[in-house]
Amino acid sequence: MKLWTRWTTVLIGAALTLATAQAQSSAFHNSGSAARPADVSQKKFASLLREPLPGHASAQAPPSFYNPESLYQQIDGGADIYLLYDFKSLLHQDFKSGAAELTVDIYDMGGTENTFGIYAAERSPTYKFVAIGAEGYRDKGVLNFLQDRYYVKLSGSGANADGLLDQFARLLSGRIGGTRTLPALLERLPREHRVPHSEQYVRKDPLGHAFLAPAYVVTYAQAKQESKLVVSVANSAQEAKSRSEQLAKHFKQSGECTSAPELGEGGIRARNNYEGRLIARTQGHYVIALLNPPENGAEILKAAARSLP
Amino acid sequence: MKNQGKWNRREFIVKPILWAGTASVLAKTNALLASPALETSASPLLQRTLGKTGLTLPVVSMGVMNADVPGLLRRAYELGIRHFDTAAGYQNGRNEEMVGQVIKEMGVRDKVVISTKQPSRRHSQNAAEAKRHFVDGVEASLRRLQMDHVDILYHHAADSVADARAEGPLEALQSLKKEGKTRFIGLSTHTTVNVLSEATRLGLFDVALVMLNYTMAHDTEILSTIEKAARSGMGIVAMKTQAGGTVKPDAKLPKELPAASQTALLKWALNHEFVTTAIPGFSTYEHLEQDFSVARNLAYTQEEEKFLADRAFLAEAEFCQQCGECRKDCPRQVDIPRLMRSHMYAVQYRNVGLARETLASTAPGRGLEACGSCESCLATCRNTVQIARKIAQLKALAVSQLLA
Repeated sequence: MKLWTRWTTVLIGAALTLATAQAQSSAFHNSGSAARPADVSQKKFASLLREPLPGHASAQAPPSFYNPESLYQQIDGGADIYLLYDFKSLLHQDFKSGAAELTVDIYDMGGTENTFGIYAAERSPTYKFVAIGAEGYRDKGVLNFLQDRYYVKLSGSGANADGLLDQFARLLSGRIGGTRTLPALLERLPREHRVPHSEQYVRKDPLGHAFLAPAYVVTYAQAKQESKLVVSVANSAQEAKSRSEQLAKHFKQSGECTSAPELGEGGIRARNNYEGRLIARTQGHYVIALLNPPENGAEILKAAARSLP
Repeated sequence: MKNQGKWNRREFIVKPILWAGTASVLAKTNALLASPALETSASPLLQRTLGKTGLTLPVVSMGVMNADVPGLLRRAYELGIRHFDTAAGYQNGRNEEMVGQVIKEMGVRDKVVISTKQPSRRHSQNAAEAKRHFVDGVEASLRRLQMDHVDILYHHAADSVADARAEGPLEALQSLKKEGKTRFIGLSTHTTVNVLSEATRLGLFDVALVMLNYTMAHDTEILSTIEKAARSGMGIVAMKTQAGGTVKPDAKLPKELPAASQTALLKWALNHEFVTTAIPGFSTYEHLEQDFSVARNLAYTQEEEKFLADRAFLAEAEFCQQCGECRKDCPRQVDIPRLMRSHMYAVQYRNVGLARETLASTAPGRGLEACGSCESCLATCRNTVQIARKIAQLKALAVSQLLA
């Protein structure tokens, strides 16, 4: 028990020290204030919104920068999920062009995978998608897209705001440059019956199971039946096997789970009352699971396994 | 909850402590040694009434914010959870879509209490525009939820007195309630003392969603403000019961804290009877079962007791107990307890707005500006707080304009 207490104390102490250090760090790096760019990286970041701008838009205030500690000031509890995807910094600025008002939020997520993760967490396959960046969508007064390490969120109101959103989006896409593609693994997965724009990259608790993280999740639909394909990315084949065993254990405890060698390496069929049916197998350092599988679920699972590197 | 009105200021602070003490004694006699998981089917669900709304809820509800998994909602309902909290801003509205779809599929709309939250626009605008924007936002939420009404509609993140009073959102809330698009109205805030005091004074809100966690154990101002709001008839829902402040199992840590720490923290919040229910934001089945185990027994287990009483933990956490003894040491009569609260808000809660307001509320000549002419700090904490270090950090924050 003493060991437990000591361990707890050490962890909490670490959390406190980390929080304190980060708060101090953030304090010295101009977080969350509509202030002058304090360093080179912020100047470079702010240059994405340099003049000239579409519609002769004029800034209503200097740009604001938020870092992982101060993001809560800007988006409150919504910050949690951004931090989960290793959010680095946010550039925020308001503009006016004639009667139109525009807000630009550019999230620097540090890398393409995390950018896709947070972008996908906030988009729905039902949105109206537009060809910009790696992927983007729009609605009245809103245009969001991702490109390279940036998640760009534009919102506007007033006359001609939608046109202005388009122009800003094109301009920013050109200035950002870099990668305009989604994570490569998604390209490999079966395309037949895949619901367009349903792909996700989940850093924490995919399908409600911590041990499956991180994972790619894709929705498939046949005859109104939707299935979720989960590709859990482990560090080794051994770890993948362990994850698969934990999944089997969970279903054995909450419902039922049987071995299904016909599905391939470590195949299982499982079900319980609240998650429904699931089939799963491993493939190298991946665990592949299909929740609510259709009749040809086994084929989808095998096709996914064949497609993985 | 029915006896809540009879508690005086001293009792509401002391009772939870007595509870803990009693639990400690019982724990030593092995009367409360069962693990939380073993308690789940043994006793009835603890339920409380949500202020003047009359709604009766299990003490543990579900903050759906972090859960993008329909099965979690289904399992939560299966276990007995009846209140699900979402917001327009969570996953850009996708969270509401998921909640609405699952509730529809399960056919249990009339058996659950659904709350959502709508923020007001930060841009300055007139009241009519603000009201229209707020109403439009709520209409969109209802469409995503596939519902004709919600049970509780909060003004999301009303973190200043001005937010609480804002004419546009207030008119929108009242109008939406009148139209039957919400049964009850409320506000969510991280600035408990100022905002909740104003909300109590206004008397217009049925429910308040407030932060409450163990780091506030000695913050009598916060606790008494919440208690006063509850006495006025406002239903109190607690958030960030485990995630707030120092004890947050930071995502960057390699491991989460032991299970006992999470249930202990949740129990601590719920042992304040002015809280009707808490909305922990679990995102795994394991954490759901763990958190819900609390809903049948709020007595601390031996492990939980140890967690809450661990002296090393308390020393590391440096909780200011607001005893005020340090004031006597300071030759410039700086309001050190208030500075310590401001530090806690800025560093541990990561709520700079609240920290700034707390600093601003210091009496003239007793704030951060008054501290500084001594060669070294003469004030000593009777407990574990390193006052000089925390004041130095506050000054650094102020210099960086974060608190300016």
